[in-house]
Amino acid sequence: MILLASAFGQQALAHYLLLSGVLFVIGLVGFLSRRNLIVMFLCTELMFQAAAIAMVAAGRYYYDFSGQVFVIFILTVAAAEAALALALVVLLFRRKSTLNAEDWRELRE
Amino acid sequence: MAWRSLDPIRMDGILPYIECLAALVALYLLVGRGPRGVKVLGIVGGLATLAWMYVMAGESMTGGEGIGRETLFLIFSIIAISAAVRMITHSRPVYSAIYFVFVVLSSAGLFLLLEAEFMAFALVIVYAGAVLITYMFVLMLAQQASSPEKVTEVPDYDRVAREPAAAVTVGFIFLATIFGGVYNGWATLPPPAGNIEQNMARAEVLQHLTKQLRTAVETAEPSFQWPPEPDANDDIVFADDEGIYVLGTTDAGSHQQVRLPLSAGPRNTQFVGWDLVGRFPASLELAGVILLLAMFGAVILARRQIEHGEDELREVAGMPRLHDSDDHSSLDVEDSTA
Repeated sequence: MILLASAFGQQALAHYLLLSGVLFVIGLVGFLSRRNLIVMFLCTELMFQAAAIAMVAAGRYYYDFSGQVFVIFILTVAAAEAALALALVVLLFRRKSTLNAEDWRELRE
Repeated sequence: MAWRSLDPIRMDGILPYIECLAALVALYLLVGRGPRGVKVLGIVGGLATLAWMYVMAGESMTGGEGIGRETLFLIFSIIAISAAVRMITHSRPVYSAIYFVFVVLSSAGLFLLLEAEFMAFALVIVYAGAVLITYMFVLMLAQQASSPEKVTEVPDYDRVAREPAAAVTVGFIFLATIFGGVYNGWATLPPPAGNIEQNMARAEVLQHLTKQLRTAVETAEPSFQWPPEPDANDDIVFADDEGIYVLGTTDAGSHQQVRLPLSAGPRNTQFVGWDLVGRFPASLELAGVILLLAMFGAVILARRQIEHGEDELREVAGMPRLHDSDDHSSLDVEDSTA
């Protein structure tokens, strides 16, 4: 029964936070080590996902629903980011016909 | 809920960091694109590390009747983590996107366990339904092979990782910080919301849901008499650690109170909606502006620039053409629809 107040103690929150940390780090390692532009952006989505899990778990712990409201904003930002990033990727792909991030080294100078 | 306690004595010291190191070494073997044996070693090592983390976190599998929340949490988190690892190690981006769908679905399951139903479904709809499809479109668009023979060929930049050692070093520092903080600090967290806080949160929102409140009260106590002006300014709903109560008046003028069942309280979606509109209205507007700007930006960025010749410009301006040939313009039209 979902509405019954069930215990959600410190251990439970700790487990969710650990899971969120593991997912975030996997996304981080992926972002740093992959060279495909699209996969790099997918990895940022993974990091958003980890943050969302931490938000919802903390909100559940304090019974404060602003955690879930924050996830709505995370979804908004993720959607906006996906739209813009993918538009940029399409633009870059038209120029050089490659998704390799290393081919755009000259942008950093 | 029988979360076995994370034993703080066992967690002390260097063990959590060794755990993180082992996890990242396994990840390195998987990312590193070495020979097959190394990958198998990475998989085995990763699974062993996960099992170790699980045992060390001291989670109990005996979850009462049926499938307990702990077991479900375990299943969902294993799916999420292994799909995430597969996502960053797979050499084909389309498969990465599909593995990311697994991550999204299992975190939607975790949201259900956290009693966040609305967010779970919103996540599936927005992420798995919309964002991932956009990714798929762009992937298909950008993965055109230069010749039919090269269709099955994976480009070099997808096979060889960029600086995997540096990446997992950064990852190790991050993970060690998080694990160290959680392992050593979870016991010092402020106490979770108890029954009284939960009931007070319910009462606060229920007070404004006039229709639901009225129905609930009339179901619980048909002879209930409302105070003369039961509007939102009167605090007629209150709570303690036992339940939610509604205050009324009897004919004699004395007070009358009805205890509402917990099921009369607001649901998750009502809570989220109330918080979203009641507490963060400006942020909601800003989110709308962000989405609008992102839409404009995407359209402007991805638009193909069309070079108009002088003839087209003259035509638009209603002036006679300089040349009679139509070849030029038909080419441009094709280009713009491509």
